[in-house]
Amino acid sequence: MDGLDETIHQPVRLRLMAALTALPPSAEGLDFARLKSLTGATDGNLGAHIDHLARAGYVEVAKAFVGRRPRTTVKASKTGRAAFSRHVAFLKSIIAGV
Amino acid sequence: MAISPDEAGAMLADIDAVVAKVKQSRIYRRTGEITILWGAIIACGQLVSMAAPRWSLWDWRIADGLGVAATVILMARGRSSQGLRLPLRFLAAFALVFLFGFLWSAVIGRFGPRELDAFWPTLFLFGYAFAGLWFGAALTALGLASSALIVAGYFWSGGWFDLWLAVVNGGGFILCGLWMRRA
Repeated sequence: MDGLDETIHQPVRLRLMAALTALPPSAEGLDFARLKSLTGATDGNLGAHIDHLARAGYVEVAKAFVGRRPRTTVKASKTGRAAFSRHVAFLKSIIAGV
Repeated sequence: MAISPDEAGAMLADIDAVVAKVKQSRIYRRTGEITILWGAIIACGQLVSMAAPRWSLWDWRIADGLGVAATVILMARGRSSQGLRLPLRFLAAFALVFLFGFLWSAVIGRFGPRELDAFWPTLFLFGYAFAGLWFGAALTALGLASSALIVAGYFWSGGWFDLWLAVVNGGGFILCGLWMRRA
């Protein structure tokens, strides 16, 4: 059993990864506004956590313009999905007392 | 860093809550688009029925055909872009409700045009209300509130029933769909 993943363990990043991995790999991802409402984070805070996850290779960030508005879409990478699965398994193992 | 079983349980509960919100949001978004589509179709169909009653039957055949085709396209688009697959049970439930409606409106029942105008929307709106018990309270609220307004219009709207249905039924669907897309 792998241990604690410090990158995912932080509460906002845990919610981010939970939201992003709830989508199938073929999905487009979630936009910044939706992630903000799901995590309850402020703009700056959320941006910093997304950057942290992106640096770890756990998420892919795409920026585009829809009309004149910038739109940031975040998607869990294959590495991120695997890391999140391991982290969830780790949490379950704690409850099971393994 | 040591994590206690209580902390681990709280984190897993947090994860489950977020996952449930994402799943509900995706269903709302896709259902919202389909709801807006049918709201527009219903409103147009009712207005054409009011303006040209002789063409009412063809009006609804064309409107329903376009609606079904557009619904299939939206569902296919949702499957490819979001990986969202509405279960076959959804289509089966729709077909069963339609069969029930056909049986009572065309075979057993002896409904007049006004009764038919009230029967079909309330039948499907009750289906929405029923589905809402699993998929989200907004659907239940839409189904019950719109049905109540349609019944009120049946009794009290006089010769303006088609217009009443266009506003209450079509408009209600559009407003609910817009709300669902933002939820």
